[in-house]
Amino acid sequence: MADILINVFIAFLAGSLLLGLHRKIMARVQKRPGPPIIQHLLHSLKFFFKETAFPKTVSMPFYIGIVFILAAIWVVGVIVGPVAHGSLLILFGVYAVYKIVEHNSGSSSGSPYGKASCVRAVLSAATELPLFAAIVLVYLKTGSMNIGDIISYQATNGPLIFSIPLAAIMFFLLLLSKSPYSPFGITKDKALVSGFETEHFGFLRGFIMFSESISWYVMLWVFLTIFFGPLSAVGYLIGMIVLTFITGFINSTTPILNPNHSVMTQITMGAVCFIGTVVMILI
Amino acid sequence: MDFVTLGGNLLGTIPLGDIVLYITPLSLFLFIVLLVFTLLIAISKTETQVEATLMKLSNTNVKVGKKEFKQRRFLSVICGIASAGAMITGDLFNFTLFMALIGILNIGIVSAVKQTTVLNSAYQYGLIAMMCSLPLFGGASIILASTGTLSLAVLSQMPATPMVVFGAVLMLLGILGESGVAPFFASKAEMFRTPGSPFIVIIHLSSLFIIVRAVEILLLVLW
Repeated sequence: MADILINVFIAFLAGSLLLGLHRKIMARVQKRPGPPIIQHLLHSLKFFFKETAFPKTVSMPFYIGIVFILAAIWVVGVIVGPVAHGSLLILFGVYAVYKIVEHNSGSSSGSPYGKASCVRAVLSAATELPLFAAIVLVYLKTGSMNIGDIISYQATNGPLIFSIPLAAIMFFLLLLSKSPYSPFGITKDKALVSGFETEHFGFLRGFIMFSESISWYVMLWVFLTIFFGPLSAVGYLIGMIVLTFITGFINSTTPILNPNHSVMTQITMGAVCFIGTVVMILI
Repeated sequence: MDFVTLGGNLLGTIPLGDIVLYITPLSLFLFIVLLVFTLLIAISKTETQVEATLMKLSNTNVKVGKKEFKQRRFLSVICGIASAGAMITGDLFNFTLFMALIGILNIGIVSAVKQTTVLNSAYQYGLIAMMCSLPLFGGASIILASTGTLSLAVLSQMPATPMVVFGAVLMLLGILGESGVAPFFASKAEMFRTPGSPFIVIIHLSSLFIIVRAVEILLLVLW
């Protein structure tokens, strides 16, 4: 139990600071000073103590329940990943629920912005295909879905990034699509205000930000673990900072794509990388 | 391939003759999440969707009527239970039956609404789901005919013959169409424009979770 609590705390703290760093990098690339790195963490904590309002149009208790589910699901993600080194399929399930929450927190508010974000969340299910393909390819290469087995495999055979680099690119696409201000972030397009988060205020937004921090940490942790093998704490730290820097740089220099282009780009890149990796494995 | 390498350690089994229901951390997680969502759906009210009115400054409030609410809630709860069943079943044919049931219920959940675009979308999805039921059941039948069993516990220990691979590919095609994921999601996305947030969420959730389960099943059968 203590292990879980410590890991959740680390995930929240590290995730918040990495998201703050992401924002700082984007600002510096765009020649702005940007907020302090600690700002995302402060915002997350602040929202827990702000007054909470519930719009008259919302679907109760779904509107409230959905953010608790979001927080709970990423705590499960920490347990399955960094704590227990469990199955990648469970982590995919966690990610699937995250998509559902994205979908439902938008639609349950009754806001047209949330609704538009909800429909886009269904379209953006295209991100799941590269993720799924990457997981299957890791399985084909290592013979197991368990993260512990995948780490052991890499300890003897070297990191998977060198043997199936295209699968790593597919996974990186997911990281990119889930990073703030991503070119694939069609559910949080500024034309939709804050997308599915538009009508969630106060402690509800606090829970959403808490979950976002943990989700960023978990996704980076999974990427580093299944493609770069057994890493030390310093290795994880450097890896996470580098990945945050790369996504920040890409996002600050790339405009958001329209929904159709976003979906087609991800599917095309996923298909090319999947076929390429299968060919590499067979050869 | 065994259950452990895919879904984690085996937590328990329910032996029913040749068909063995099994519980791993993966199936337990999917099962519990679906039950939690089903419970939330059963107790939730629907939202009031605020839409702009053409040629006027006022908004239009779109609500779900009482009769429509009852019908859609019933179908959504059944869909949640069917999806939960698909998560823990240890039988290939039961899985295909749950899959077909989910497809029908997904259409049913939006069939009571009066928006033409939503009904058109449901109709198009219905056509794809109907066409894909043939490869879905055909694939399961071919696997049964070539191996003599539908139990996943037994199938996971058998080598994959060319006929099993053919059956699995057919099943995959059927699952993609029935669940309406890419590249078929374009026909389904418009269905989500209707009000009734707690009901349409189960359409999305059942599709995503059924795909997770389908991949586990296909890997069990093929490797």
